[in-house]
Amino acid sequence: MNATWTNLLPLGIVLSSLLPGLLIFTLREEQTRLRVALNLTGVLLKLGLVGLMLWGVARGLEFRFSIPFLPGGELVLQGDALSLQFVSLSTVLWLATTIYAIGYLEDAPLRSRFFGYFSLCVSATVGLALAGNLVTFLLFYELLTLATFPLVVHRGTPQALQAGRVYLTYTLGGGALLLMGVALLHSLTGSPQFSAGGYLLPLLETRTPSLILAFALLVGGLGVKAALLPLHGWLPQAMVAPAPVSALLHAVAVVKAGAFGIVRVVYDVYGVEPVQALGLHLPLLALAAATIIYGSLKALQQRELKKLLAYSTVSQVSYITLGVALMGPIAAVGALAHLVHQGLMKVTLFYCAGNFAETLGVHRIREMDGIGQRMPLTMTAFTLAALGMIGVPPTAGFISKWYLGLGALETGQSGILLVLVLSGLLNAAYFLPLIYRGWFATPKAPWPAAATARAGRPGWRETHWMLLAPTLFTAALALLAGILAGTGFSPLGWSQLIINREFDL
Amino acid sequence: MTLALASLLLPLGTALLMLLLRLRSGIWVIAASLGSLLCAGLALHEVIEQGVQTLAIGGWRTPLGIRFELSSLTAVLLVFTAMTHLLVAIYAQHSRHSHARNTDYWPLSGLLHASLAALWLSRDLFNWYVTLELLGLVAVAMIILSGPRAHAPALRYLLLSLAASLCYLLGVALLYGRYGVLDLDLLAQASEADHSTRMALLLMTVGLMLKAALWPLHLWLPAAHSSAPTAVSALLSALVVKGPLFILWLLWSRVAPVDMTESAGLLFALAGIVALLAGGWAALRTPLLKTLVAYSTVAQLGYALLALGLLLRWQQSELSVALWLFVLAHGLAKVSMFLAAGEMQATLGSKRVASLKGATQTMPVAMFAFAVAGGSLIGLPPSGGFVAKWVLLQPLLLEPIHWPWALGVLLGTLASAAYVFRVVALSFDRADATPPDYDPDPFAQWLALLPAIAVWGLALFSQPLILWLSEASG
Repeated sequence: MNATWTNLLPLGIVLSSLLPGLLIFTLREEQTRLRVALNLTGVLLKLGLVGLMLWGVARGLEFRFSIPFLPGGELVLQGDALSLQFVSLSTVLWLATTIYAIGYLEDAPLRSRFFGYFSLCVSATVGLALAGNLVTFLLFYELLTLATFPLVVHRGTPQALQAGRVYLTYTLGGGALLLMGVALLHSLTGSPQFSAGGYLLPLLETRTPSLILAFALLVGGLGVKAALLPLHGWLPQAMVAPAPVSALLHAVAVVKAGAFGIVRVVYDVYGVEPVQALGLHLPLLALAAATIIYGSLKALQQRELKKLLAYSTVSQVSYITLGVALMGPIAAVGALAHLVHQGLMKVTLFYCAGNFAETLGVHRIREMDGIGQRMPLTMTAFTLAALGMIGVPPTAGFISKWYLGLGALETGQSGILLVLVLSGLLNAAYFLPLIYRGWFATPKAPWPAAATARAGRPGWRETHWMLLAPTLFTAALALLAGILAGTGFSPLGWSQLIINREFDL
Repeated sequence: MTLALASLLLPLGTALLMLLLRLRSGIWVIAASLGSLLCAGLALHEVIEQGVQTLAIGGWRTPLGIRFELSSLTAVLLVFTAMTHLLVAIYAQHSRHSHARNTDYWPLSGLLHASLAALWLSRDLFNWYVTLELLGLVAVAMIILSGPRAHAPALRYLLLSLAASLCYLLGVALLYGRYGVLDLDLLAQASEADHSTRMALLLMTVGLMLKAALWPLHLWLPAAHSSAPTAVSALLSALVVKGPLFILWLLWSRVAPVDMTESAGLLFALAGIVALLAGGWAALRTPLLKTLVAYSTVAQLGYALLALGLLLRWQQSELSVALWLFVLAHGLAKVSMFLAAGEMQATLGSKRVASLKGATQTMPVAMFAFAVAGGSLIGLPPSGGFVAKWVLLQPLLLEPIHWPWALGVLLGTLASAAYVFRVVALSFDRADATPPDYDPDPFAQWLALLPAIAVWGLALFSQPLILWLSEASG
């Protein structure tokens, strides 16, 4: 392999957060400036490299890095349109979350450890996105589990440890299932590179039971991280993690890794035709639909803001799975666009929840009464993102739901339309009361004085600027993704490009 | 071949000189291990360049003389043994908790190294008996170094080890009486499926399984390995139990008649699965840290046993690659785990797992080493344990009829994940951290981390390694 820049760029994107992360581990607690500098260097460098790759892919360049690993399965990092969608999302949200986390953890203990694992976590996510075959994907999927565990238990309280144990039980179990599934497919054909339309078609006749079992194992393993119905139990518990971690887990790193994996498995490993021939999409569809409704129903019953958001994630991430399982190009566009849209909206909601908790100590829903007068900007961001989750036009959430609905009609699964409508109503039922409380209810008690809070006045100074700026930034992105959906550079436009390749349109 | 012999004679000579001159300084052993490592590395290079080499000791040809054979597997094992000894020797010399300074540890570890090297090189049943006996006696002597509280487990180990040697010797005598040869290759050509051969194989297998602590003959191991000094525990778990396994593998894959291997293979494989689960369960339940690590050895040997059993049952020699990858990965990971566990136990002042609360803060490097090594035991990619498991899984998953075995591997994986993360999760408990009794020793912790990093590095090195190991098994 020649070491040209196109070969090394994918590796560079992974290393641009990995190396700063490893360096951060060695820093002493009080070396704040150096740590921030390392963090920001990593973020900006990665942003630049990803931009370069986007430019290159648009010009038709191929980016592929590989080294020998297992017999029949190299370690491959490559940039195609689908991986770039996920990489860009993670990189942009990592930028925002890093700034948020620096503000959030100001003067907290063990920051070197936190930011070290934080960088490892992003490296694993990006590696997973760039993975060029199943073996590489598996590797980064497991590394992601290992890198996120210390973040989940970061607070070190008994409650955090309990959540950490549950998290590990689920994710390591899922990892073991995924390992089995990948090894099973590997024993049949090795691990060739992901390709549009999959590579298992020749085995369809002769190896039917193996293919079905492998699909069940893969979806079982990925479904844990994607929080599909019986495997979602870790997600609400993992809420004890610090707010930036929750934001990252829910919007990008963990749940998206699972959903992204399902997209990869269905489109680039199995291919649409074999999945349909084996009838594997129907159970997946049923599972996704059930998860959507179940998550919304559970969210309706919550009293804590972060728990409500967690169950809302369970529901919203399954839209991606749903769109994939519908097996039609239009639904697939909706699914891929939702991968980005849900990330932007959910990260905003979690930032807002963190801002409320950090600034005013608000954790429960009924404490939110009148919070819009005290923190109008945060509440505006919250409202935008919540409306997006419900699917009100012209927000990003509307675009993805619109495409999912059209896709359901196109593939003749009109029952799914009912699921979408019901879930939209449920979303409205748990988000609208929050918006009402925030803007129109009167506060039960006066807000804490400025001395205990991070900052004082409503407006630009309503909380620490490092908490406010990322919130507004991602809220604006979520809005723009909806308004500019028709242009070529929106998540929707890019998704269409990917799907045209997958379905050979 | 000269280089391989040098790798054997350097530690032997050093140990004998130290005994004669009453020297008890670690520097000599470290130097000898380093020399031995260099020779073994060069020997490996020689084998790769020139192929398998044999040596008739003293110029006597078989069947009269004793034959040494240097295959690529033997060379890899020589490198592995010397490397482990070097690392453990540096630890023993440096760490204040090793209980090894100026003791008999040094000549004994040299003898242990030499007898292992001789075992890897031998292809002769009686010569193996000598090395096994030596290995067992030296191991017992080293366990006793940790004082009176180790006497009971050491004594039990000694008695069982002697009984096992007797069993083995009886089997050797039977075979010698039947065929009149002791050389492995000659025996392989001559062996027939008759009663005395079966009886001999059965006796030798019982003896070897007892010595290798393979389930269900493992009961002596946890007490013996956990009561030994830390450096000794590392050597015992990483190396000593692998010696009898090597003989067992050669015996069954070369000498045993085919109709026997199928049924015996099934038994071995079943025992392997049970070992994985029972060892994992015991490791999950024990309150003591080093006992947990020792039970994990019992469980991990289950993988090797499973690979051996299936290799015999299906006559698939490529499974021996999985067997030896497991041995190498487990050895490296176990050195790291025992050194980390011993260092943490001594610094935090308690043998209990519960005392590791908050260890990610008080002893971050040692805890990290424990977790990283544990990752390889679980088989997380890209570690050596993962590669081994991968190679084992490939033939299991290919045919639906073999899937139940894969289920066994899956359960074993989950069991090992459970006991490793039992410790790791506890160490993140910040609310009630155990304060260290001494200043944590950074150098010893980094030494513990070194083999753990090596075992993860093994994955990137897996292709040539698989090639060498499969040449040896072919």
